[in-house]
Amino acid sequence: MSDDLLNLAQAIAGRASGSEAVESFVTHERDFQVKVYEGEVESLTSAEPRGAGVRVVSNTKVGFAFTTDLSESGINALVIAARDNATHATPDDAVAVANPPDEPPEQIAGLFDAAQPSVLPEDKVAFAVELERATRAVDARIRNVEEAVYSDTVSHIAIANSAGLAGSYERSDAWCYSVAIAEDDGDTQIGFEFDLARGIASLDPGAVGRRAAQRGLGVLGAKKIPSARMPVVFDPYTAGQFLGVLGSALTGEAVQKGRSLFAGRIGEEVAAPNLTLVDDGRAEGAPGSAPWDAEGVPTQRTEVIKDGVLRSFLYDIVSARREGRRSTGNAARSGFKSAPGPSPSNLALDPTGENRAEVLRRAGSALLVQDFHGVHSGANSVTGDFSVGATGYLLQDGEPTQAVKEVTIAAPMLEILRGIEAVAGDRRWLPFGGSFGGATTLISNMTVAGG
Amino acid sequence: MLTEDVIKKVLAAAAGGGATAELFVEDRRSTALRLEDSRVEDVASGVDIGAGVRVISGDRASYAYTNVLTLEALLDTAGAARAGLGRGGEQAGMDLRRAGPPVKHPVRLPPGEVGADDKATVLRVADDAARATGAEVRQVVASYSDVRQKILVASSEGTIAEDDRTRVRFAVQVVAARDGEIATGFEAPGHSGGYELLERFPAAEVGSKAAAKAVRMLDARPSPAGQFPVVLAPGSGGVLIHEACGHGLEADTLVKHASVYADRQGERFGSASVTIVDDGADIGAWGSVGVDDEGTPAQRTVLFDQGVLVGHLSDLRSARQIGHPPTGNGRRQSYAYLPIVRMTNTYLLPGPDDPESILESVERGVYAATFAGGEVNPATGNFVFGMAEAYMIEDGAITHPIKGATLIGNGPEVLGAIDAVASDFDRKEGVCGKDGQAAPVTNGMSTVLLARMTVGGTEA
Repeated sequence: MSDDLLNLAQAIAGRASGSEAVESFVTHERDFQVKVYEGEVESLTSAEPRGAGVRVVSNTKVGFAFTTDLSESGINALVIAARDNATHATPDDAVAVANPPDEPPEQIAGLFDAAQPSVLPEDKVAFAVELERATRAVDARIRNVEEAVYSDTVSHIAIANSAGLAGSYERSDAWCYSVAIAEDDGDTQIGFEFDLARGIASLDPGAVGRRAAQRGLGVLGAKKIPSARMPVVFDPYTAGQFLGVLGSALTGEAVQKGRSLFAGRIGEEVAAPNLTLVDDGRAEGAPGSAPWDAEGVPTQRTEVIKDGVLRSFLYDIVSARREGRRSTGNAARSGFKSAPGPSPSNLALDPTGENRAEVLRRAGSALLVQDFHGVHSGANSVTGDFSVGATGYLLQDGEPTQAVKEVTIAAPMLEILRGIEAVAGDRRWLPFGGSFGGATTLISNMTVAGG
Repeated sequence: MLTEDVIKKVLAAAAGGGATAELFVEDRRSTALRLEDSRVEDVASGVDIGAGVRVISGDRASYAYTNVLTLEALLDTAGAARAGLGRGGEQAGMDLRRAGPPVKHPVRLPPGEVGADDKATVLRVADDAARATGAEVRQVVASYSDVRQKILVASSEGTIAEDDRTRVRFAVQVVAARDGEIATGFEAPGHSGGYELLERFPAAEVGSKAAAKAVRMLDARPSPAGQFPVVLAPGSGGVLIHEACGHGLEADTLVKHASVYADRQGERFGSASVTIVDDGADIGAWGSVGVDDEGTPAQRTVLFDQGVLVGHLSDLRSARQIGHPPTGNGRRQSYAYLPIVRMTNTYLLPGPDDPESILESVERGVYAATFAGGEVNPATGNFVFGMAEAYMIEDGAITHPIKGATLIGNGPEVLGAIDAVASDFDRKEGVCGKDGQAAPVTNGMSTVLLARMTVGGTEA
């Protein structure tokens, strides 16, 4: 199947005329989603979306177009539109398509779960029913399960260009989430939990449901606390969100365009000396892995911060060429409808050697943050300001005592990075446009504003 | 888009056996240009065509969609949707009635008739104007986008409706820097209409306004934290109403009792100056439609009438569940999504007060000029909003800009805290996310005084 797709991608790239370069990115997916409410299917969606995105580079100018019409006339119109769009762009010597590598990259082990395409819809429905049931069953105070969802996608992706590049791969993704509403004594809290894997067989609806319920139940009766400076612990979930904010400032493009708090800091100590931050586009089991990036550059492992020192940014072709370097294989697209742009693939801090229990004990009296609120407005990767709402627990001697809500935690992001004392080994991957590996993380000091 | 014969065949193949069927067809043509580093870097256009079949039985729905619009592919899609519910199929004899004409939002200069060179030029004009504002301007990102979306929605219950929507948006983001301080400014007007948007909001003005904001915010001092009176600027403050009140009145959350407003119709939440509406029929507004994505005509729905909760927003399904007529708020991002309840243009209607005297009444407080977006828990109404542009108010006058400020609170608390509403109504356009779907929405309000709110900041 992906061979047909690759043939189509190559046929589109083959329409290049004269000195122009043409790149095509074609996808064909099979998508499924089921939502369950009160033991019944609330909605079920199945689809086979497909489409193509094309870039034409002509006289150092690039244009992009996409279409869902893969007929001969649709493809004709597509290439003409991209070519016309290129004429309106500003000339840029850095613009280029990928040169084919000498050797195609090795496939990523386990990227495609061969059992997944033959999973029956009724088994997926049963999974979602069990997810909801397990969430509800934890405690009578789970008043409702607002959403219990199972979803999967099997994708074929082909990329080709007129420089001779031709690559394709298949991947499968399955994920689920549950939203529990916990209520007691007039207080209402939401518990959200999810999991993702290559196939349904690797997901556990009971475990996800229980955790969703516990996340809601645990913060019932939460209170504001007086304002203070104190150590703060990010849960894996919030630690991953924090890395997501950092990640957008770690691309070469963000730096070149003055959109990064890390601009001009290569070689500088930007984090605690025991910290190493790695982007690995080939990490097994991580959602952001693929053999090729979205421009057809083989993916790789890049040390961004090594022992606290900022070593490298993440590059796609155009941002790399601007600095006379090579792409780090970090071009990404949100689908065939978008042109590629740089993004972290799988970004994570290396563990510092302690487990979660040890990190919590070391934190002593601290705020453990389960959820952030308002991250997209309160965290600014340009200025480095970080001031977000938080829900979580007060820790005494590393043990959760009082649930806490409606506090704001704030510190400049570089201060947070330099203040990280420990990263536990309980990493989990979170997909926030790129994937981010969060683990229980201790920060020595932040401002906690209550009221 | 499709012949009536094809539509009937597809619906007949999906409906029946106690199930109803709906066919949604979409043809979307879009253009987007983006300038950064004074270069027009992205010039993109797209053709996105698809159709989806929804089979509905009671509260359950099954949906399937395709990018191929042949009769054969559509019948396959109908079959897949039917299979998802395990019922439906072969409903005979169906008439399709057209509802009244949709609300029209005039398009004077169809974007498809404006050359891409013109669209690239306005980006450069905005860039020049922004950079001319001050030497502190380091980066300008200007973007232009237009979309023409034609939809057709038909139901086995015998209705058919079409809409032809054109939207244009122009956005400028500016980064300014001085002495290691960095600040940003953002302006993004948009409307349902044509390229004439750029006459109402000339590119140079949008660019210099965004730049002036960024430069002003360079002088920002850390925000204090604590309880303060908060004055909301016209326009942008409407996001509070959208997030903290509107979402909780979307009937899907009411049905699931996931809303702080559930079972509270008729209850007083604010003073007589608080009247809030959602108006999908507001001519030319960014969030407007002719009919919604289920074919229900756009309308104005009163949510709070002089402080009293009197309304809610619904799509077909939630309307049936709560036993009220649908309000025309069933929207979907595209044919790839099931419709869900969404706001359109949500307004706190103007009041009698004078914006100047509102400021003068505040001894020490915060002036929230622009919110950076926010997050709300619909079950509790609790929210946190970042302020992208904010100032201290001291002795009845704005003094200096502040940074890192957040507004923390609760929807009903805000409604109760509204002490004064001025007459200087303004709109701000945005994109709302819900259940993974994006929808164009407008927020509107005048200058508003909130008596006392929690402000988060870095000065503990």
